[in-house]
Amino acid sequence: MAANYWVSTQRRHWLFSREGLVDVREKLREKDKLSHTQFPLPDQRLLNIYFNQQLTKLGKRMSTRQQALATAQVYIKRFYTKNEIRHTNPYLVLSTAFYLACKMEECPQHIRFVVGEARGLWPGKSDVRITKRPVDFITSDVAKLGECEFALISEMNSQLIVHHPYRTLSELQPELSLTSDEVALAWSVINDHYLTDLPLLYPPHVIAVMAIIIAVVFKPSQTSFHGSGPPPLAGAMRDGAGMNILAALGEKGASGPPPRIQKLVGWIAESEVDIKAVIECTQELVSLYEVWEQYSEKTCKELIGRVVKSKNLDK
Amino acid sequence: MGYTTKVRVRDRYHIVGFISSGTYGRVYKAIGKNGKKGEFAIKKFKPDKEGELIQYTGLSQSAIREMALCSELEHANVVQLEEIILEDKCIFMVFEYTEHDLLQIIHHHTQPQRHAIPASMVRSILFQLLNGLLYLHTNWVLHRDLKPANILVTSAGAIRIGDLGLARLFYKPLNSLFSGDKVVVTIWYRAPELLLGSRHYTPAVDLWAVGCIFAELLSLRPIFKGEEAKMDSKKTVPFQRNQMMKIVEILGMPRKETWPGLVSMPEYSQLHSLALSRAPAHFNRPSNLESWYQNCLKNGGYSSTSSAGTPGADGFDLLSRLLEYDPTKRITATEALEHPYFKNGGPISANCFEGFEGKYPHRRVTQDDNDIRSGSLPGTKRSGLPDDALLGRAAKRLKE
Repeated sequence: MAANYWVSTQRRHWLFSREGLVDVREKLREKDKLSHTQFPLPDQRLLNIYFNQQLTKLGKRMSTRQQALATAQVYIKRFYTKNEIRHTNPYLVLSTAFYLACKMEECPQHIRFVVGEARGLWPGKSDVRITKRPVDFITSDVAKLGECEFALISEMNSQLIVHHPYRTLSELQPELSLTSDEVALAWSVINDHYLTDLPLLYPPHVIAVMAIIIAVVFKPSQTSFHGSGPPPLAGAMRDGAGMNILAALGEKGASGPPPRIQKLVGWIAESEVDIKAVIECTQELVSLYEVWEQYSEKTCKELIGRVVKSKNLDK
Repeated sequence: MGYTTKVRVRDRYHIVGFISSGTYGRVYKAIGKNGKKGEFAIKKFKPDKEGELIQYTGLSQSAIREMALCSELEHANVVQLEEIILEDKCIFMVFEYTEHDLLQIIHHHTQPQRHAIPASMVRSILFQLLNGLLYLHTNWVLHRDLKPANILVTSAGAIRIGDLGLARLFYKPLNSLFSGDKVVVTIWYRAPELLLGSRHYTPAVDLWAVGCIFAELLSLRPIFKGEEAKMDSKKTVPFQRNQMMKIVEILGMPRKETWPGLVSMPEYSQLHSLALSRAPAHFNRPSNLESWYQNCLKNGGYSSTSSAGTPGADGFDLLSRLLEYDPTKRITATEALEHPYFKNGGPISANCFEGFEGKYPHRRVTQDDNDIRSGSLPGTKRSGLPDDALLGRAAKRLKE
């Protein structure tokens, strides 16, 4: 339930196996192969980066906290396990997920305000040259967002409470005597994991432990803020030194690592965290940072704009 | 991207009649259709109207909370959700049907003349209520609106905490629990720290309400029946002077010696002026709760010879711990369940009606509004004026 992840709807209904998730997406593709050929879209993770950046912009204009943005991202992921993205207006889905998540995370925003901000943020008019018709991605009619809210809630079976790794992180901070720099870095790693499928694949505490390990092993020497490119962490993680230590975490009696890391290793050994899962999560993150190199906001924007406009999904 | 419902209410349920309404919308009684067995209570959330046309206007936060929480919760003493149907711009929450609620049971015991609720029944009700509350609190859910009308009772005597429309999670909420809804909990059941403007309230507010309900089960009247001061034109929340006085009349003035946090309450100065406006004798009077309690047992005819026939001294001790001024000292749900009131004496039945000879009337279901889909009827009062007159006090309270 609310406090207990183990009996939550998140664990019972929204935790996929890797194969399960592939399967779900394959089925969506099978249903409309034509759209997939006609409208190629970037790698899901690149789209996620784009969505995340758009959400962050929307959130910033309304000074929304990170947890609401995280919840919105999970809603979007869940929704797109049941709906083909090429049949939707992602901008509307994004705004609606944001609107719903703000209510759920107790920082509600008025629907008119969300619609107004979203319209300001995504003026479809700039795409006149592509479609020859000036249409907005988000219409001024709030009923559209209200209707999309029904679709979102219905697809999620009203299972709206999301457990996030942030909570585990703050609970473990004193126990592992994490420095504020380490917490900040772990926090940003958690932010980044929403760009992958990890929230649908692993329980939040596994993600939190992964984030802590990365933060402690790859010593943050830089601020955790990053713009459009992959975070500086990406380079550090790829250079291998850290990865070896990480591999050693899985083995008993690892020798060599500094005491700081050994303490963490000790804690992990004693806790019942699935270390194999933690390592898989780390690899997922490394590959995210690799794919991030190819990210182009412009491409994402154009490809999504093309789908929405050509199929009249903004109507 | 339009929304079309996958499930239709009328394909699955046959609407028997209308039960009640509130600010949220209306509740209907229904029975399952097409192989679906059982009786249900369907809560329909009222959509906002723009002119005569019903529009999607975004769901209320209260509806969202109730939908999300009810989808997660599962406990024998918390109302069971069957399903949620989103159809025709409306939300239909389908719950198990409960034949009774505490408001109706208390009311029944005042008709035609007052006759007390048996001690064993009060004990079972309270135990089940606390058990459900413990479940909510261990899951970081504050109910925030416990009152007799929200405590449902099945025909098998099981207690179900209902109406989670005001409930919310209290694990590090993004905003202070105060900022969302300025006023919570029906005023008669509102804890003193809330009356004094506390911004950081805790599960203790629900236990105060349980104390009020316990007292009401024994006396058949709300123990602190104050008059609500309405918000002024500036939308500032007024100090609930009258309600606070009702509490002070029975419990005496709260004191900083026994409630250290008292002086930092936002409305402390108001409380002070309240004290000054009264005679010092009144101000200094100690708690009256024990004599209120003894009187109540005597008037109710609770046996003074058989221990099973009365809540007795243990009952008083529990009541005084629930109605503790200082929220940090107030008994918790866990502690209350371990209290001698439950530990001493015989086993507690999971059927609160066990051994009870009497019969409670069925929930009133009216026929004048069977069209669950008609959105044109605004959800206002209970339907059927003659029934209102019969229900008297109960109907009046339901309107709040």
